[in-house]
Amino acid sequence: MKIVVAIKQVPERDAPVRIDAAGRWIEEADLQWALNESDAYALEEALQLKELHGGEVVVLSAGPERVGSTIREALAKGADRAIHIDCEDLGQRDALGVARLLATAIQPEDPDLVLTGLQSDDLGYGQTGVILAELLNLPHASLILHVEKSDTGITVKRELEEGWFQNIDLPLPAALTIQSGGAKLRYATLMGIKRAKTKEVRRIAAAELSAPPEAAVVLDRIALPQKQKITQVLSGSAQEAAAALVEKLKFEVHAL
Amino acid sequence: MPLGISPMTIWYPRRPAAQSCIVGCSTMVPMPFTLAEPAAFPLVERILFAALAIASGSLFWRRFGPIFHRILQSKKDADFRLAPVGRRVWDFVSEVLFQSKVIRQRPLPGIAHAFVFWGFCAFALVTLNHCAVGLGIGFLSPEGFFGRFYFCFAAVFALTCAIGILGLFIRRFLVRPRWLGAKLSWESGFIAFLIFFLMATYLAAFFVPAGSTAITVLWWLHTLTLLVFLPIIPHTKHLHLVLSPATVFLSRGSFSRIPPLAGDEDFGLVAGTDLTRLVSLQAYSCVECGRCTEHCPAANTGKTLNPKEIILGLRSYLNEFGPASSEPLLGKHNPPVAPFQCTTCGSCEFQCPVGIEHLPILVGLRRGAVNTGAWDDDHGAKLFLSLERGSNTLGMQAGERDKFIQKQQFPIFDGTQEYCLWLGCMGGYDPKGREIVADFARVMRYLGTTFGVLRKEKCTGDPVRRLGNDLLFQQLAEANLEALAQNKVKKIVTICPHCVRTIQEDWKEYGTPPEVEHHSEFMARHLSRLPRPSQQDSIVYHDPCYLGRYRNVYAEPRTVVSHSGQLLEAERHAERSFCCGAGGGLAFLGEETGERVSHVRAKELVATGAKTIGTACPFCNSMFRDALASSTDTAPQLLDIAQLTARALPQQDTSSAS
Repeated sequence: MKIVVAIKQVPERDAPVRIDAAGRWIEEADLQWALNESDAYALEEALQLKELHGGEVVVLSAGPERVGSTIREALAKGADRAIHIDCEDLGQRDALGVARLLATAIQPEDPDLVLTGLQSDDLGYGQTGVILAELLNLPHASLILHVEKSDTGITVKRELEEGWFQNIDLPLPAALTIQSGGAKLRYATLMGIKRAKTKEVRRIAAAELSAPPEAAVVLDRIALPQKQKITQVLSGSAQEAAAALVEKLKFEVHAL
Repeated sequence: MPLGISPMTIWYPRRPAAQSCIVGCSTMVPMPFTLAEPAAFPLVERILFAALAIASGSLFWRRFGPIFHRILQSKKDADFRLAPVGRRVWDFVSEVLFQSKVIRQRPLPGIAHAFVFWGFCAFALVTLNHCAVGLGIGFLSPEGFFGRFYFCFAAVFALTCAIGILGLFIRRFLVRPRWLGAKLSWESGFIAFLIFFLMATYLAAFFVPAGSTAITVLWWLHTLTLLVFLPIIPHTKHLHLVLSPATVFLSRGSFSRIPPLAGDEDFGLVAGTDLTRLVSLQAYSCVECGRCTEHCPAANTGKTLNPKEIILGLRSYLNEFGPASSEPLLGKHNPPVAPFQCTTCGSCEFQCPVGIEHLPILVGLRRGAVNTGAWDDDHGAKLFLSLERGSNTLGMQAGERDKFIQKQQFPIFDGTQEYCLWLGCMGGYDPKGREIVADFARVMRYLGTTFGVLRKEKCTGDPVRRLGNDLLFQQLAEANLEALAQNKVKKIVTICPHCVRTIQEDWKEYGTPPEVEHHSEFMARHLSRLPRPSQQDSIVYHDPCYLGRYRNVYAEPRTVVSHSGQLLEAERHAERSFCCGAGGGLAFLGEETGERVSHVRAKELVATGAKTIGTACPFCNSMFRDALASSTDTAPQLLDIAQLTARALPQQDTSSAS
């Protein structure tokens, strides 16, 4: 099975985010970058499929020079080769514009499966993967926790609300957007990094793929969230209050 | 019982002058006993002796040769340097010749062993002469001044050696300490018998008349014992007689020294091809005394890990597969879980009398498993991923640290302050660790010492270093070194011994770390300027492994504790202190199998009856906090030495600490 995984480099989770002078993007200098979380799960799903059924995993990422470090991380974890779309103006492209770039790069690869994270940690549109499937004219499903190969194609497990799941069958080729948390992520190893050095990273200039975009969606202004403090008193017996507290810590604060 | 000097002239046909000397000497120094030695042997016996000696020697080499080759065929230690030779010679003199470690850590059996060892040393010349006699070329005359002196000198050692080996025999077969293993080693018993018999046959020769048949019989018994003993050495633990002096001399020298990986294909100890000469030499040097097991926190709380078995497992591996094999080291001879139960407390390496360095081996096996991705552990992967993406081992947002710094009004380090106060993961994120840092900051402020904290700080990489994740460790070390260099930090002080060790020693592989010290050292230096508390409680001090065995700092925290109360010692303390269970990344690896190490140690500390437990490491503190909460109702107070000290500071100074 040949699988293309589209990944994005986003600011590291702990990075102190400051809004730039124009108010339309964050200051990128001094930022540390990491692989988008749900993309990490998409990559993991692809690697596990490859381990079970053989084939090839190709990672694809668009962005400036710095994206190279994230690509190498993906190669270190086990991807076979990579395509780096050199693109300095990713921020100016809307979801459709980015998906066009990715789709044009994917087409000649003719993969059996295209995977990408559900949404990016920075912009969080949740659109790119879905539009990508449409541009590639592939059947798609979103919010996927797990992929299994079947005789006719694949069976995927989707996450619905309230702990409900849905299993659906898709033919191949297909495109999926992957939800975080479905698999156990592997850690990067020294051996992986050393092996990654010899793996192919093909660089394509964005201009070769599609003309500078006419964005349908324009990012007008960004702002940091307002901090708020809310005090809630949990009523009931100590046991009930404790149960309610655990519930809140788990599902509202996500501290557990 | 002959009281005079027996005539031996036939025996020294080429030295007729000896006769006159005998008379002269015997009149000058009256001797009660003299060694009787056989007169010339018939040719048949000489040939028989030569044949037996050659057989014994070749049998020895047939067994020892392959071992010697396996050691030499192992990979070269890329970082091995003979310098400093002075230190090596000193270690050799102290640990081998004077048996300092053997005696200090186990006085009674240690002295018994030393007597056996010194007996052997003293016997070297006697034995050489003994064999020479068999060939008719004896060179030490019992009538000569030196010969007489030396035979008596050796007799004293033979006596103490016989007593020593008898003591060791009684210990092994009657007292039977559990670290010698549940199974009785008959082979050890046989060897003990041989040694005893060697000494007995030597000493007996002082009591038989010269020229008697008894002399010849004794000579032959002594000789046959020797010739049987020699080929037994290589395939028993008595191989340490041959190897351990070299092992001690060639050891890496500094405690828990983790060698740098050599080249692109070195991922740690993965297979036989990764075993270095030092590792192989050490594996064959093990004398199976079990000191490592006796002190190991894992082996004593029902875990799979037994440091002695790790070393013997490597030896079995070398015997079966050899140093050129690609068979994984973790498998048939060493269970894969065992190295990951190690707290890296270092007791094993500290105790080992034959120079085995367990920590580079245990960490090496972990490296092999982690660097290749073979180690699959949910908690471990979570720790690695949180350090790949975040900044700290607790998996918290870096912003939490910023909030703490703001609340405590810690100045940001800008190059004008004397110290950079390194918070560490515990100091920056853990509630109790923060209390300790806050109190230490109060102490520094009281003393008027200027300090600042870094705006951003990543984990020093201690847990991933010990767990064998070299990729992540390098990233963390490099990022931190760069941040410290940018901020022009010259001196670091921190509450965490793990941070101290990692910054000072482990980072060296990637750059030049600033000077670093532990807060116990800082406070001990300024103690005269710090107030004493009015109430002097009894305080038991627990030595953190990374401050004690790793840094050799035992006195400073004790003077700090004594300043705040009456110092008590737990049964195991200082270099024999028992681990809290947190080191080596184990604090992050979830529930232990068997008994919890922290509970065992907490019980020992409580048993001293002290009102307060004094700690000097936030990890120890955190482990005991949990152990005390679940084990006793009337638990003693648990305070870091910084908190003990800060208690006596004037109240108005506390405004920023709560």
